[in-house]
Amino acid sequence: MMDSNILQNFLSPPILFFFLGMAATLVRSDLEIPQPLPKFLSLYLLLAIGFKGGVELNHSGLSSEVLVSLGAAIVMAVLVPIYTFFVLRIRLNVYDAGAVAATYGSISAVTFITTVSYLSNLGITFGGHMVAAMALMESPAIVIGVMLVRRFGQTGEGNSFSWKPIVEEAFFNASVFLIIGSLIIGMITGADGAKALNPFIDDIFKGMLSFFLLDMGLVAAKRLGNLGDSRWFLVGFGILIPLLNAAVAILLAALIGMSEGDKLLFAVLCASASYIAVPAAMRMAVPEANPSLYVAMALAITFPFNIVVGIPVYHAIIGWIGR
Amino acid sequence: MQAAKKVEIICDSLEVKNVLKLLEDFGITGYTVIRDVIGKGGRGMRDGDDLTDVFKNSMILTVCGAEQIPDVVEAIRPILKRFGGICLISDTHFVIH
Repeated sequence: MMDSNILQNFLSPPILFFFLGMAATLVRSDLEIPQPLPKFLSLYLLLAIGFKGGVELNHSGLSSEVLVSLGAAIVMAVLVPIYTFFVLRIRLNVYDAGAVAATYGSISAVTFITTVSYLSNLGITFGGHMVAAMALMESPAIVIGVMLVRRFGQTGEGNSFSWKPIVEEAFFNASVFLIIGSLIIGMITGADGAKALNPFIDDIFKGMLSFFLLDMGLVAAKRLGNLGDSRWFLVGFGILIPLLNAAVAILLAALIGMSEGDKLLFAVLCASASYIAVPAAMRMAVPEANPSLYVAMALAITFPFNIVVGIPVYHAIIGWIGR
Repeated sequence: MQAAKKVEIICDSLEVKNVLKLLEDFGITGYTVIRDVIGKGGRGMRDGDDLTDVFKNSMILTVCGAEQIPDVVEAIRPILKRFGGICLISDTHFVIH
């Protein structure tokens, strides 16, 4: 089952477009997506997924199970950066370790969205509250990462430090703001709102995702060469830590009693790494850390691993445990 | 025409807001910002191809009096040192209109 799932996932248009983008960079094609478009596509995907989640929440309502799931999401978002920081310290300095730990503690919205597309191909439903869980998991890792760097690193001489811009960036950055805002609009407008926005939110969603993944492929391939001397350690980290995080998440999800779709989304959230919100925050808060490292790891290693192999593997593990 | 100093700053896009605030604190309230400029410097290629502003530079262009320059330079220096970038100052004339 796992082999066929991996193959089926690999042969879906969004994933193939991702590899097309990678291939374009590797063969030095002049293919490029003009600058404002990737940002537009990313905002579109966040708006669509936030809105869809809100509509689902309007339908299902808030229950104690939903609140427990959201609590579990926050716990994982706090724990992952702490333990990964100490793993990373084996080879990286405090600044890079803190920034990479924050990256892996946070989430990748596009991995989540690709998983939603995978679930819809298989006809598996998921709870709208998982979109809220995604939004909640974006920010805590940023704060934890900066705290770890300040606790274990040397604060530069004469550099004034203020938590205000970091907290603002963590909790009100464009992704978090748009997901939460769209979720609330989806909750308020419900099924009628979904009907009104239908061609925009639903029908063109996979096409837009494919277009966005084409750009992600272009950028990911460019970042592949940025890993420096510790590249094998970092490649190992970028694959093994997501597997470990997903395994812990699946066990936690089973304990809570999440549905099959929710379990997979929770596993993917815990296994993914941020390459949008966290790098921007870390660049501001920890400029000593090397962005080539933390962006490359999240974008060129963990993201492709998760969307090609991770999603079907986590799904197969959920199936085995559920038997 | 009036003699003045032209200040060209290329800095991390994420720091533009702070640099502009600093200029305004010194009474320099007019400026032009060119977003997403690409190039290579001491900290490697800044090709601006990402979704965040992490690998992006922006250029700030402004004009001020010679007497303002020492204060502006000293205030901007720590930002350039920490985040990278350059600051060029040259003699110029602007057209009074």
